[in-house]
Amino acid sequence: MDNKKVIVIPCSGIGKPIGTVSREVAYEIMRLKPDTAETVCLAALTSGDEESIKKIKDNYVITLDGCAKHCAQKNTQAYGKEPDKNYMILKFAAQNPDKKPEGIIDIGKGGRELVKTISEKIVSDIDEIKQNEKK
Amino acid sequence: MEENEKKLSKVGIVSCSGEDLPEGSISRLATLEVLHHKKLFDTTTICLPLYIAGGEGDRMFAKNHPTITVDGCEKLCAKKATEKYSGKVAHSINVRDFIKSPDDVKNKSNLNEDKKRITSEVADAISIKVDEILKENNK
Ligand code: SF4
Ligand code: SF4
Repeated sequence: MDNKKVIVIPCSGIGKPIGTVSREVAYEIMRLKPDTAETVCLAALTSGDEESIKKIKDNYVITLDGCAKHCAQKNTQAYGKEPDKNYMILKFAAQNPDKKPEGIIDIGKGGRELVKTISEKIVSDIDEIKQNEKK
Repeated sequence: MEENEKKLSKVGIVSCSGEDLPEGSISRLATLEVLHHKKLFDTTTICLPLYIAGGEGDRMFAKNHPTITVDGCEKLCAKKATEKYSGKVAHSINVRDFIKSPDDVKNKSNLNEDKKRITSEVADAISIKVDEILKENNK
């Protein structure tokens, strides 16, 4: 059986709470799926780090972008790797107006609830990816 | 860059924000501390992956601002990416230079007391450099 990992790459956008949400979602997914989910440093892809490029090429990739600039997705595509899934965190935020992130450093209670909601959805997609692998 | 422009320019701070290492979280938090508190009016930033995902304007960042890069480890991704796509950096900081024991940085997301201390020391080091650069540019 193929035993590829799922590499979750958040954009971690520094100027917006939504960037912090993307980052915390990646950590939450790794907490929920410790045997399957890993990450790479996005900046290492931007700088052209060979080890990180190999890691995304050898595994499944999920990108989490804060906004329509799609930085995590485009930095992955720059090395010829199409993410298996790309999520726009802003869309989840729009669908969950009651779960509003507060600040960039501390996303607050609303932000943490949003992280939980998004992570649960993505974890079920990861299960699907791994399920299809067995077929 | 025109001399007047150079004098008015804010200092750019670019964090690697490395997700895979606790030091990357420190680089991000120290950078935010400087941007939002310590040097609110003197600094600016850019989401680093925009060097690839963004446009020409994004890649002008280090040409428009004297730039300090803040990296989590010896790979110096923020420095390398900035110099590859944008321009020479004015100063580069490596969080690992502030870490005395590996136990200081155990997990990626949460801040313990040691990580808070290191974050604060890195933020202080960035702020000192911001002052030096501004002083130099305004001579
Ligand atoms: S996708 Fe948007 S928020 Fe995320 S790093 Fe890019 S510009 Fe910043
Ligand atoms: S400098 Fe180190 S911590 Fe920062 S992005 Fe690169 S590999 Fe990650």
